[in-house]
Amino acid sequence: MANRQRKPRSRSQTKRTGPIRAWFHQQRNAVRFSLNRLWFNPVSTWITLAAIAIALSLPTSLHLLLNNMQTLTDDKREVPTITLFMKQNVNEQQTKDRAELLKELPEVSAVQVITREEAMEDFKQIGGFAETLETLPENPLPHVLILTPKLSFLNTNEALTKFSDKLKAYREVGNIQVDIEWIKKLRSILNIADRIVLVVSVLLGLTMLLVIGNTIRLDIQNRKEEITVTRLIGATNTYIRRPFILGGFWLGLFGGVISLVIVHFALLFLIAPVNDLAREYGSNFTLHGINFTMTLQILVLSSVLGTVGAWLAVSQYLWKSEVVSEN
Amino acid sequence: MIEFKEVTKRYSTGQIALYNVNLKMRAGEMIFITGHSGAGKSTLLKLIALLERPSKGQVSVGGKPLNKLTRSQIPAYRRRIGFIFQDPHLLYDRSIFDNVAIPLLISGMGTAEIKRRVHAALDKVGLIHKEKHFPLMLSAGERQRVGIARAVVNRPTVILADEPTGNLDPELAQDIMYTFAQFNELGATVLIASHDHALVERMQKRTIMLRKVE
Repeated sequence: MANRQRKPRSRSQTKRTGPIRAWFHQQRNAVRFSLNRLWFNPVSTWITLAAIAIALSLPTSLHLLLNNMQTLTDDKREVPTITLFMKQNVNEQQTKDRAELLKELPEVSAVQVITREEAMEDFKQIGGFAETLETLPENPLPHVLILTPKLSFLNTNEALTKFSDKLKAYREVGNIQVDIEWIKKLRSILNIADRIVLVVSVLLGLTMLLVIGNTIRLDIQNRKEEITVTRLIGATNTYIRRPFILGGFWLGLFGGVISLVIVHFALLFLIAPVNDLAREYGSNFTLHGINFTMTLQILVLSSVLGTVGAWLAVSQYLWKSEVVSEN
Repeated sequence: MIEFKEVTKRYSTGQIALYNVNLKMRAGEMIFITGHSGAGKSTLLKLIALLERPSKGQVSVGGKPLNKLTRSQIPAYRRRIGFIFQDPHLLYDRSIFDNVAIPLLISGMGTAEIKRRVHAALDKVGLIHKEKHFPLMLSAGERQRVGIARAVVNRPTVILADEPTGNLDPELAQDIMYTFAQFNELGATVLIASHDHALVERMQKRTIMLRKVE
């Protein structure tokens, strides 16, 4: 009892820490405390994390699947073409002029001219046709343009239809054959799948919110006494809320990390059979993994969901218990 | 310092705990509140700590009427008050040191300063050697003293104690009363509710007697 040289109690209760340093101390303590809570309740923490990770990895992998399907309609892969058959009365020069004009269009990446003579030669190469063709008085084949579109400019089915209508409307063009019908169909299917992924994502996002909210709610129940005591001692709602909200944030963040690991392993599991399949089809298709942006998106989303879930749980409790009575 | 003006407290159950109470306390005073159980001793303290609001009348502390405090001002106000319960409400998953440190953590104090203050407070109640223990390892009297250390660690201007010696043996009760007297000498305004008349008389301080409302 030697160091009892207290000054009389006054409002300026000794050298107070500055407000900014006080704030930092509180943040640091809350971070340490919330991490401790997770660390020392390993069973409940891991169960919650697993639930979050599974809820997140499902929409993530669906999204990834869809992304991969969409790359099938990319420019660089199997190049789909539009074949333009000129009218019979169109001569070679007119065909070549049209080809030059078409090359100017933004939607067009290349145009190849096949004159009727060249086409005839090609036909003759195909066994059995030669004699039949000899009997014809003149070459029945039209001049042909083979057009390679830029799909990045035609990324909707409407644009595609509009473009082929436009081609058909040229005076010289008799008939066109669009080799990209299958892309249209694939796109329609992908559009539906896109919606499905969205619905699944929203539902699982809500699940995650509920899981985290419920975990935090249970945590609050376990620490009711502590909340009451700290409140009586003069803790603000912000102070009480902080460790719980951080707890939700950690759950969301770590759950996101685990879900990324799950999706990654699932991809590794799929990569060999997918490559096999692609080889069968003579395609150079490869599976796309999760890129940096997507990783970031998932982590941000999951930690935001965690924070919001915790915030809802704590605020609901604090609001309900606003009128404090003893015990 | 503390003033009650025609304060009535009626609980929602219809029970009247306080009726038309007028009371004035100067800063630095030490006062005992006695009366039978149910006479409203606890209610009176709770009104000061803003754990309850009066049904009628006004309570002022430090010249400021408490009904003027907004909800967001209450936490800061409570930090100036040390409240000691009959049951000390310790947190059982934390050590004695951590329990006493809570008010300082709330006000965002640095680790070194917290350590210094907690040690000083524990020293004051004679429990410095038990700082690493947990509440369940302590006797009832020791736990009560931890509660006191926690109430005074933030150096409050007002100390309120509700039956602080309720379940202690007489010797220990006497010790604790002397501890309060010490805090009072250091400048705190102390208000203690107790039904132990003998003990209260021995302390020779101003005493307020509450009678049950008929």
